[in-house]
Amino acid sequence: MVGKAISVNKALDKAVALKHPEKIHEAMRYSLLAGGKRVRPILCIAACELVGGDESAAMAAACSVEMIHTMSLIHDDLPCMDNDDLRRGKPTNHKVFGEDVAVLAGDSLLSFAFEHLATATPLGQVSPGQVVRAVGELARVIGAEGLVAGQVVDIDSEGAADVGLEQLEFIHIHKTGAIVGGGTDEEVEKLRKFAIGIGLLFQVVDDILDVTKSSEELGKTAGKDLVADKVTFPKLMGIEKSREYAERLVKAAKDQLVGFDQEKAKPLIALVDYIAYRQN
Amino acid sequence: TPSSTAQFNLRTYWTALIQEINHKLDESIPVSYPHRIYEAMRYTALDKAAKRAPPVMCITACELFGGHRTAAFPTACALEMVHAASLIHDDLPCMDNDQVRRGHAANHVVYGEDMAILAGDALFPLGFSHIVSYTPRELVPETRVLQVIAEIARTVGSTGMVAGQFLDLEDGADAVDFIQEKKFGELAECSAVCGGLLAGAIDDDIQRLRRYGKAVGILYQVVDDILKEKANSRRNDEEEKSKGKSYVRVYGLEKAKKVAEDLRAQAKKELDGFENYGDKVIPLYSFVDYAADRGFSVGA
Repeated sequence: MVGKAISVNKALDKAVALKHPEKIHEAMRYSLLAGGKRVRPILCIAACELVGGDESAAMAAACSVEMIHTMSLIHDDLPCMDNDDLRRGKPTNHKVFGEDVAVLAGDSLLSFAFEHLATATPLGQVSPGQVVRAVGELARVIGAEGLVAGQVVDIDSEGAADVGLEQLEFIHIHKTGAIVGGGTDEEVEKLRKFAIGIGLLFQVVDDILDVTKSSEELGKTAGKDLVADKVTFPKLMGIEKSREYAERLVKAAKDQLVGFDQEKAKPLIALVDYIAYRQN
Repeated sequence: TPSSTAQFNLRTYWTALIQEINHKLDESIPVSYPHRIYEAMRYTALDKAAKRAPPVMCITACELFGGHRTAAFPTACALEMVHAASLIHDDLPCMDNDQVRRGHAANHVVYGEDMAILAGDALFPLGFSHIVSYTPRELVPETRVLQVIAEIARTVGSTGMVAGQFLDLEDGADAVDFIQEKKFGELAECSAVCGGLLAGAIDDDIQRLRRYGKAVGILYQVVDDILKEKANSRRNDEEEKSKGKSYVRVYGLEKAKKVAEDLRAQAKKELDGFENYGDKVIPLYSFVDYAADRGFSVGA
């Protein structure tokens, strides 16, 4: 996994060059190369390999997924949204570059993700038709059914008492899941379920860490969810039950991988454990 | 210029096409859960006062090369979605801080800043997914679809419209040419090019569309600056003067007029290269004259 994260970092560094106007590109690179966990791109590559593709076939898509993820973090951190000062242990994008540049850097990463996917995917390995489908999938990750919907529901449900678990799942499944592509329809469906499961797992663990760790340990502001009166798993079911729920999600995710080449499934199994047992 | 241009009624052509585009756009952004975000997206994207210049340009360029309108509609709608997204973000308090857009309250004034940012963030990808889902594959091969996607993504991105907006925010009076080219030339260029790509035009023709589209887009804005300056000098509106980079403010009225004339000539020169396509090129000529003369008003 470390090896994959390194190749993803290299590819991201190369993909977003310092062009004119420099400040915008600096702002894009600042957040994109801030040392994220790269869980999403690694998931993308591992899923591609699981169904028989090469890392090189998935690298452009993997970078695009990370660009989309990063842009949503930049915009979510803005004062008019979650108003966060700290992200990945560093000042947030708008703290360094100003709100205007942060909005534009996010917009730039969003559009560049699509440009990169469409132009940098090796057409020798991936057919134009597959790339077009991947573009559609990428659009759904961020769009009004995806990350944006999650953030809208997040904003809307702050302080609201009548939010049920189902809605909470809706928020986070859409927020983190459904990124995978390639393979047969049946494989894609299994991987979709897997991705939705680990997306949810990711969020449950995030919620637990938010109440059990310090800002220093997390690299971002801890206890934020409580202050913002956000609906979280620990709040709905308590910390112990949240931990049990996370364990069930770990098992369910691994079950989706039964039936695949177990050698190729190893990176994904490692990813599940990483997401479940990380400390920040 | 073909003599038949005079007979061609741009207003009728444009009005009919706008109705069709508005109908398609309405269908392409249905309201679903969570409702508020879709309402915010629709508020700006379906604004009745919009002139729909990018989609009209795209469809007309597609038809020039014998492409069918059906092939161009999804991309035409996508262009209007990304256009709306960039307008919503440009109007934000931390950007141009505009309260009014097309005579209505700006998106963030109605829905709040947070929702306005998200509405923009949702409209960009909706544009791309709309192209992917609805472009008829029997009319447009997938390699062409990818070219269109890359073209739009580059246009709205960090070296295109974002670059223009950024330098506009900085005090870049010496960069007014660059700003106008990026903020207004790029989208028109992209719209014309996408139309050509969808119809399967050859590279030389795509390049010609590129130069034509860019010239028309900048021309439209320079003329806007000239008209605004004239209106302002009558009203002596000092406040209005401080906003944005105006071509007239930087170069003076005389030079602006000269630039407008040059752009008009340049755009038409490019179209002269399409003489083989007969009458189908007429709407493209009339866009140039409209951008320069504003002979009538478009939109509701």
